[in-house]
Amino acid sequence: MLQTLPRRAVVALLALSVFFPLGLVVYQSVLSGPFFMPASLSLESYAFIIDDPDFWLAAKNTFAVAIGMGVIAIPLGAILAFIMVRTDLPGRKWLETPILIPIFVSPVVLGFGYVVSLGPVGFFSVWFQDIFGSVPWNIYSLASIIVIAGLTHVPHVYLYSSSALRNLGSDVEEAARLSGASPFRVARDVSIPMVSPALLYVGVLVFFLGFEIFGLPLILGDPEGHLVLTTYLYKLTNKLGTPSYHLMAAVATCIIAVTFPLVLLQRVLLKSAQRFVAMKGKSARQRPLALGPWKWLALALILAWLFFSVVVPVVGIALRSVVSSWGQGINLLDVLTLDHFRAVFDESTMIRAIINSLLIGTLGGALAVGGYLAIGLATHRKNDAISRFVDYIVLTPRAVPGLMAGLAVFWVFLFVPFLTPLRSTLFSVWFAYAIVWLAYGMRLIQSALMQVGPELEEAGRLVGASNARVSRDITVPLIRNGLLGAWLLVFMIFEREYSTGVYLLSPGTEVIGAQIVSLWASGAVDVVAALSLINMALVGVGLAVALRFGVKLHD
Amino acid sequence: MTDKTILTVDNLALSYGSNPILKGVSMQLRRGEVVSLLGPSGSGKTTLLRAVAGLEQPHQGSVTIAGRAIYDAAAGIDVPAEKRDLGLVFQSYALWPHKTVFDNVAYPLKLRKVAQNEIVQRVHAALKNLGLDHLAERYPHQLSGGQQQRVSIARALVYNPPVILLDEPLSNLDAKMREEARAWLRNLIVEMQLSALVVTHDQSEAMAMSDRILLLNGGVIEQQGTPTEMYGQPQTYFVADFMGSNNIMTGRIGDIKGGEARIDLDNGLSVWGLRRTNAAIGHEAKAVIRVEQAHVADADGHNRAEVDLVTSMFLGDRYEYVFHAGKDLLRAWGKRHEVPGKRWLELPGDAVWIF
Repeated sequence: MLQTLPRRAVVALLALSVFFPLGLVVYQSVLSGPFFMPASLSLESYAFIIDDPDFWLAAKNTFAVAIGMGVIAIPLGAILAFIMVRTDLPGRKWLETPILIPIFVSPVVLGFGYVVSLGPVGFFSVWFQDIFGSVPWNIYSLASIIVIAGLTHVPHVYLYSSSALRNLGSDVEEAARLSGASPFRVARDVSIPMVSPALLYVGVLVFFLGFEIFGLPLILGDPEGHLVLTTYLYKLTNKLGTPSYHLMAAVATCIIAVTFPLVLLQRVLLKSAQRFVAMKGKSARQRPLALGPWKWLALALILAWLFFSVVVPVVGIALRSVVSSWGQGINLLDVLTLDHFRAVFDESTMIRAIINSLLIGTLGGALAVGGYLAIGLATHRKNDAISRFVDYIVLTPRAVPGLMAGLAVFWVFLFVPFLTPLRSTLFSVWFAYAIVWLAYGMRLIQSALMQVGPELEEAGRLVGASNARVSRDITVPLIRNGLLGAWLLVFMIFEREYSTGVYLLSPGTEVIGAQIVSLWASGAVDVVAALSLINMALVGVGLAVALRFGVKLHD
Repeated sequence: MTDKTILTVDNLALSYGSNPILKGVSMQLRRGEVVSLLGPSGSGKTTLLRAVAGLEQPHQGSVTIAGRAIYDAAAGIDVPAEKRDLGLVFQSYALWPHKTVFDNVAYPLKLRKVAQNEIVQRVHAALKNLGLDHLAERYPHQLSGGQQQRVSIARALVYNPPVILLDEPLSNLDAKMREEARAWLRNLIVEMQLSALVVTHDQSEAMAMSDRILLLNGGVIEQQGTPTEMYGQPQTYFVADFMGSNNIMTGRIGDIKGGEARIDLDNGLSVWGLRRTNAAIGHEAKAVIRVEQAHVADADGHNRAEVDLVTSMFLGDRYEYVFHAGKDLLRAWGKRHEVPGKRWLELPGDAVWIF
């Protein structure tokens, strides 16, 4: 009894934390006004957005971005994975980490980086113009947004296809070679069909990520007014001037209606992909495919991609944060300044944002990992109805884009009397972050827990330890390293997060990500540049520590 | 059930979903006795051990240890594994990699709130008993397979459980060490007067180590008895086939005289043997004879046949002869090398079982 009680409490608290905010969004969407004011049940919010041509435009753009991203990212990511895993490309070891950088840089920072690098008066645009006379691209067009989104999502595809390729035993390929297939035929007839479940999964994942993309279209779509559904939602407040919560809730519900089935689909596809992997042969050491002279072309293409999706935005931000102004004919050395950083450190809001970001990454990250661990232990090696229920609860927040999850949590803190005093504390932001990244964190914890041999725990039971003692004395000490890794990854993810804090932003709850979104709207480019650099530096420190401790950046 | 009985399993049944694994197993273990659960993979022997330990969930029957019901489906009793006070030596040893040898062995005592000085003393006594005292501060990964196994045994014995369960205790050791460990383990169990239930899939291991053997097949006990009974008087074809190495031939019953029968084999031979089947004359049957019972004879005689010797193989301590008899390959053992050719092979009537 004593063992089942905390378990039920953990699961009940989890279910409440996930379903109450989500339920509030759906409930709000069928009210005629904000839930805290007298309002009646009605569908007028849906009627409003259906009548709004901007909504349809945003929906169209969203599909264009999601599909375009897939068309660009999936082939490139799969080829990149094949080259990195299966060939003798020079410098493969050295390239592994830089390839993953775009995943860990906040999209809003990335978007800003492209503006200051490739925008009308961006560094690279000006340099290009100096050499070639004119600039053939327009960073603010929808096509540019799609290309940038596609190229910066290549690492997501790379992650899943490379691990599928690694798991593919070389014996199945060798068997094909011995039966008389050329290396090309082996790839076409054996390797690619065997990783196709992983590619299918990744296709759905990329489409899903495209559907809830926010930072890039917010920054890049603004000047020419290209809206996607998330930015449409964000701009709704300005549109009517009054808090139009019911309209926002209606848009949110529409988005979730698309993303939730996608999340369930991903789950099914991932399971089938893993079943495929389970049939793998023995994975002996794979002999890399010799590329011959082609390896230099392959290397050049990878470096070009890295240049565009890592070097260009990062260099842009770094430069922009140390120059007072920039444009045609300005000598870089004349405009160097540290004023922007001084401005950041002079303003108490900014200092608070930095301290809060650090707090939420370190302390908040540790608390979140602790919470994920409690949930993980509650379902560990128990294949019953409660565990299956938890499986689905954990998936649910995945379907809710951070912007809306933050909004929902904000409403919860408005709505529930005893939570109200906590609204303007960092706790509300932490709570939203922990919910938004629940699925991610649980995957880290569960994969650590799966490493523990069941007989080690059974041995504990046999010599007289209760379930709780086994968890405390055996399971948790055994996954110490996994927990440290999870904490570091959650730290990076929490530093990178920006959209979730947007609606929770108030004096006392500033975090760097949300602060950048809010400052960008006010046009404070100098401070945004400095904050962006600080933000990247924080993530970079996390990354360096993680690499130092040998944390695997993916599973 | 006498008061010497320490473990009683009564009509235990267990299923994984709709797939029955144990179909009503009953057995007893007496104090100071070693019983082996023997059977092919999938026979349910490990499941039975784990059900006794409380790691699997039966749905019918009962388990009693030293007069205390630890599982009883009818009475709704299901004592959790940690309250059963049993010792289990895992196949993989399951030593906790984050604890030293000392801490591994001390943990059960710590859970039982034994005083610290007594823990030190009892752990060292247990380790010394198994010749491990000098390794107390090592971690499991710094030990050899045999040492890990001893630590695992020390951990299971340190709190004096009434019954010790061993799951394939020798299977993780290499072939040569296995025979030495078998003798060592048997000696330890006898010296310490332990009551042990051992799971194994190796019939010679079962015979060497135990006082009694339970042979499981498809979730039921096929036969139980002492090693000599199991080997010398198999009641069913399955038991005869599973124990020992055999020549097995099929044919039809040709004649019946009391407890003996003649079988006319498909390979053309015809032999008398002990009748273990109710099949009538003309019905299909199988003849089984241990390889060591068949031997080469000099001339014709009762239960002898002339067959082709194909090859002799040197096995170190003996030769194995391979004969052709119709479509069957027959084997026999002998002391010297024989050149191929016609030979008289004797299958003694009291060593042939007809099922």
